[in-house]
Amino acid sequence: MIKVTTDDIKAISKYILDISGINLDESKAYLVETRLGGLAKEYGCSSYGELCSIAKADSKNTIANEIINAISTNETLFFRDAGPFEVLQHKILPDLIDMKTGKASGHLPIPIRIWSAACSTGQEVYSIAIVLKELLPDFNNYNIKLFGTDISDSAIGQASHGTYNKFEIERGLSKEILEKYFIPNGGNWKISDEIRAMVSFSKQNILKPFKNLGKLDIIFCRNVAIYFNLEDRKKLFENLASVLEPDGFLIIGSTESLTGICPIFEPKRYLRTIYYQMKKSDLQTNV
Amino acid sequence: MKQLKILAVDDDPFTLKMLEKKLTKEGYDIETASDGIDAGKLISSKFYDIIITDLVMPGGVDGMDVLEKAKTKNKETEVILMTAHASVENAVEAMRKGAADYLKKPINFYELTLRMEKIRSYKKLMKNAQDLREAMDVTEQNAAQTIQHLEMSVAELQNVVSEINQVIMSQNIDPRKCVDRVLDILSS
Repeated sequence: MIKVTTDDIKAISKYILDISGINLDESKAYLVETRLGGLAKEYGCSSYGELCSIAKADSKNTIANEIINAISTNETLFFRDAGPFEVLQHKILPDLIDMKTGKASGHLPIPIRIWSAACSTGQEVYSIAIVLKELLPDFNNYNIKLFGTDISDSAIGQASHGTYNKFEIERGLSKEILEKYFIPNGGNWKISDEIRAMVSFSKQNILKPFKNLGKLDIIFCRNVAIYFNLEDRKKLFENLASVLEPDGFLIIGSTESLTGICPIFEPKRYLRTIYYQMKKSDLQTNV
Repeated sequence: MKQLKILAVDDDPFTLKMLEKKLTKEGYDIETASDGIDAGKLISSKFYDIIITDLVMPGGVDGMDVLEKAKTKNKETEVILMTAHASVENAVEAMRKGAADYLKKPINFYELTLRMEKIRSYKKLMKNAQDLREAMDVTEQNAAQTIQHLEMSVAELQNVVSEINQVIMSQNIDPRKCVDRVLDILSS
């Protein structure tokens, strides 16, 4: 294992911050060693500073992508933390559908657009799709678009393929849901075509301008900002506000807070979970 | 870690005896069944960590059926298939159905114990990962309760502050009334 030096950590953490927004301070030196050690060796580098230099010189960004794949954390589960999905099912979707039905003209399907920002390997966005499918028996009356984006192309690749091993599916999914929406495939499970077809996946660094997403009704951005510094967190939530419909909903991680980060959003409680909407007063001043 | 419970299934009494002897010596807790039917009965009545079964057995229940039965009963059970007539097709089929390994007969016991140790490490890692997730969940739930409580309290206080601000900033209000209004807001 190549040991990380003080100079190394400065160079590599600055580079990682630039390409991904992930904020590594000196206390995270071990992460550089465990997650980038293999890559440094593969490219014959004698230090992480050298890995950084060859990544910068690589005009195809292959090494940069490999660094992002290795350093980003893909910890996720189906229905990770029941709270957000209960809020989605019992509060947000009913409210949204009420609002949209009131505004809808004629017999056009009601549009619902949901974004799982930093979707990792897809478990969150597929869980959302399953909630929708279970909740809306009159599915054809809606025009549902789900988007899953992540900075890591390997995570997006797995998400798009929709195949999970037994460790990835073993918690969070009831036997009933598993058998209804997954197809056994060797020792693995593949998401059913009807659920897969509801979601579009693409690569997106959420600190960069958003591509092809349009306005969203609901944004899930859970446990992503925790890896960013304060300045990038502020930027992230302001950017999210700019693509959210005025009455739209934002869900962040259960241990995250927007206090002192983004005053545009107002926390609201439903049972034991908090979701956010934009303050009406801020909306008026923005108009 | 607790001793792994093993079931060995083979219609050949010699192989079965050898497996029992060698694996007991290695410290495994081993039971045996002389055909697929017997194995099926044992599988439905108790849990085994690892099942080592012959592929071709008489009586209409072969190793592939034992594998399927074991996996349906409990996906935590790992199955190793053994056969004298090893073929790539069979091996692929077994792996597709969730077998952990596929060994050629006659059994090389050194190889078998190596594979079993691999399964033991894998199970240990899985257990470790599950424990870590449990610990993370508990910590996360506790932290979430505290943070969400603070988030709501701060938002309420901010609303109070901005209401008071509005009262104070309003130009044409007499100072006495202004104080009364502020006290009202604070007491509500």
